[in-house]
Amino acid sequence: MGLLYGLIAVGLALIFGLMDVTNFAHGEFLMIGMYASFFLFTFFAIDPLLSAPLVAAALFVFGAVVYLLIVRFAMRAKANAGMVQIFSTFGLAIVMRGLAQLFFTPDYRSIPHSWLGGKTISVAGIFLPEPQLVGALVSILAFAGLYFFIHRTDFGRALEATREDPGAVALVGIDKNRVFAFGWGLGAALVGLAGAIMAVFFYIYPDVGASFALIAYVTVALGGFGSVFGAFAGGIIVGLVEAVTALMLPPSLKSVGIYAVYLLVVFIRPRGLFGSM
Amino acid sequence: MDKNFAARRRRDLIIAALLAALAALAPLFVKNVYIQNIMVLTLMYAALSQSWNILSGYCGQISLGHALYFGIGAYTTELLFTKFGVLPWFGMLAGGAIAAVIAMGLGYPFFRLRGHYFVIATIVIAEIGLLLFQNWEWAGAAMGITIPVRGDSWLKFQFMRSKLPYFYFALALCCLAWFVTWWLEDSKWGFWWRAVKDNPEAAESLGVVVFNSKMGAAAVSAFLVAIGGAFYAQFLAYIDPESVMGFQFSLLMALPAVLGGIGTLWGPVLGAVILIPMTELTRSYIGGSGRGVDLIVYGGLIVAISLALPQGLVSLFSRSKAKGATR
Amino acid sequence: MTALLETRGVWQRFGGLVANSDVSISVGRGEIVGLIGPNGAGKSTLFNLIAGVLPPTQGSIWFDGKDVTNLPAAERCQRGVGRTFQVVKSFETMTVIDNVIVGALVRNTVMREARRKAHEVLEFTGLAARADVLASDLVPAEKRRLEVARALATEPKLLLLDEVLTGLTPTEAQTGVALVRKVRDTGITVLMVEHVMEIVMPLVDRAIVLDLGKVLVEGKPSDVVRDPKVISAYLGDRHAVSA
Repeated sequence: MGLLYGLIAVGLALIFGLMDVTNFAHGEFLMIGMYASFFLFTFFAIDPLLSAPLVAAALFVFGAVVYLLIVRFAMRAKANAGMVQIFSTFGLAIVMRGLAQLFFTPDYRSIPHSWLGGKTISVAGIFLPEPQLVGALVSILAFAGLYFFIHRTDFGRALEATREDPGAVALVGIDKNRVFAFGWGLGAALVGLAGAIMAVFFYIYPDVGASFALIAYVTVALGGFGSVFGAFAGGIIVGLVEAVTALMLPPSLKSVGIYAVYLLVVFIRPRGLFGSM
Repeated sequence: MDKNFAARRRRDLIIAALLAALAALAPLFVKNVYIQNIMVLTLMYAALSQSWNILSGYCGQISLGHALYFGIGAYTTELLFTKFGVLPWFGMLAGGAIAAVIAMGLGYPFFRLRGHYFVIATIVIAEIGLLLFQNWEWAGAAMGITIPVRGDSWLKFQFMRSKLPYFYFALALCCLAWFVTWWLEDSKWGFWWRAVKDNPEAAESLGVVVFNSKMGAAAVSAFLVAIGGAFYAQFLAYIDPESVMGFQFSLLMALPAVLGGIGTLWGPVLGAVILIPMTELTRSYIGGSGRGVDLIVYGGLIVAISLALPQGLVSLFSRSKAKGATR
Repeated sequence: MTALLETRGVWQRFGGLVANSDVSISVGRGEIVGLIGPNGAGKSTLFNLIAGVLPPTQGSIWFDGKDVTNLPAAERCQRGVGRTFQVVKSFETMTVIDNVIVGALVRNTVMREARRKAHEVLEFTGLAARADVLASDLVPAEKRRLEVARALATEPKLLLLDEVLTGLTPTEAQTGVALVRKVRDTGITVLMVEHVMEIVMPLVDRAIVLDLGKVLVEGKPSDVVRDPKVISAYLGDRHAVSA
């Protein structure tokens, strides 16, 4: 579970940390990913595991489009840039929830767990006993891939450089909007991947994103903004803390442990565990 | 120059008095209970947003956890009333005081944090509060508290037959929050807060104790929000954790100020007058039929306004003035 | 009469880096003192220690006859230390007059008096015409001037100027020099950090040259400029810069 948080968080970290933009619609990206995976399964009988790359690709396009249509303008705001980002993406989140209600489950119907989960386990069961295990594996691979991408490729470096100094980057011929659109796409694709996997063992409903969004923020902040490794480590910590709290406290209080750990960490290290900003 | 300034202050005060008088007369013409209800909520959110604006707008410490203080105000009032028979008026003040003390207590660790780390900490602490109340048996846990009906009276601040007393209280609260803001705007605190928001290091070099400034803003802001929470509890006559401490309250306090103009005197009122009726109307008119269309419209408008007017709707009124001053 | 400001054996280390080692300087009342030196000499660090941004690792700082080593910046301002920032830190969303009022509030708790004081300072610094303009709309030279105005509004005994003349056009620098003289004539002591010697030398009564975190030379500007140690320090610096 922690690894999945990590994966959601890494996508957020990419957007949040590397580009220093707040994305309050992140949970809704996740929701879209879950729906995409669900529909691919219902209509085309493609197993979520196989469709995951497709979902990721679709979310990549979606993330890039969101950047070009909305975020680009939010970042350009001269005054209150932070608030504009928070509320334009928050407004987007509401729109996406509304659209999901309208098109996907007009009757607020959620997908029965056993129906989807059971079938997938029998397909995936040939290789691995638990879909969660697959999720963990995919998360590690995706994380490794992203880490390599950020630190070893030209484009990753361009992304970082663009955040540091858009003006200077423009001088060497890098188009800021292209780089950031790509970054948003990548962030969204990672969340889409997480969504596809989570569709296997979670209910899907228009508000599903909200319950994960806050944990994703906490995970990113715990690890420290601007650090991909931090987000991943944060994800593992959050997963562990959740497991431990579940043993000690009633289920209704399980998130308290995560929140308390976040507060504790930032009081000691105000920039998170691996934060640089 | 000073005359201009004094004239502007006086003009603000006169406009506010006129608007308040107009609002006070409104129930004479609006008899529809549904609309009256919306008016009460609009005034309440205007007051809340105005209070939120003190800490987050003027002092620049963006809090998305003010639902905590709202809930504390509501719970203090109702627990004191149902368990100890304390009149809501005293409970209200007690709730405000407790909220202010908690805000300052949280300020010690929180005000060391900056930017996103601070915002997330405020969200997280409000969520912790919510979860604790949901599990606090003595305070009714997730079931909440139903306020016993004792008949209409100002003493018990309880009215079943007519919403009007609530309307006037909400109006008074809104006026209070506005007036406090107006008064603070031209006080040393107001100047310190804006300085702290713009540049804490420079503020410190000019003798402003940044930490104390933030504490002052947090206390005033939390106190007023808790009064609003106490009012809301009496208004609903029933509270449970989700309905007075949920994250949506934190957002609904912030949104009017942001849409109207964050850190401005008129922003929260303007934002609330547009946003709250819009929220309620889309919910009841479009929400029933289209399933989600209300959310699309609502969210779309938020996106549009925040992108088109980053400084809020207030900037529409002051744009010509600002341009004239620039050069 | 004791000196207004004294640093006694001040050290500042950042990890392994020694930014100031055993710096003892003093500034007398009514003086204009220039603190100069090549890049990385430790001027800014010393300046921040005096302003109270951070406490020194070792040593003490005395202001107006009292030990202020452990006082925070705000407290030192209340005692009479005003400062500007090398990278201007205006309150961007506030008007010019409001910027200055923040400073004036240190001595005047009644708003009307603080406002009057702020207007006086704006007259004095030649910014009166720009009083109602947003700080973000000022040109760079005006922002520098606003920094000085804001600090003056706190009615300091000692004004710390951090490279206020650097990066200005010759005309702007001339007006700046005139303003600093005017400030001194009102009885305020001035300690100014400058990197470029040519600008400050004609202005200051005394110059203190820092190099590699230590006081290299101290004395009359005319003597300091001719000192071979200073010349070599600066030449070394120039070479480093041009290389």
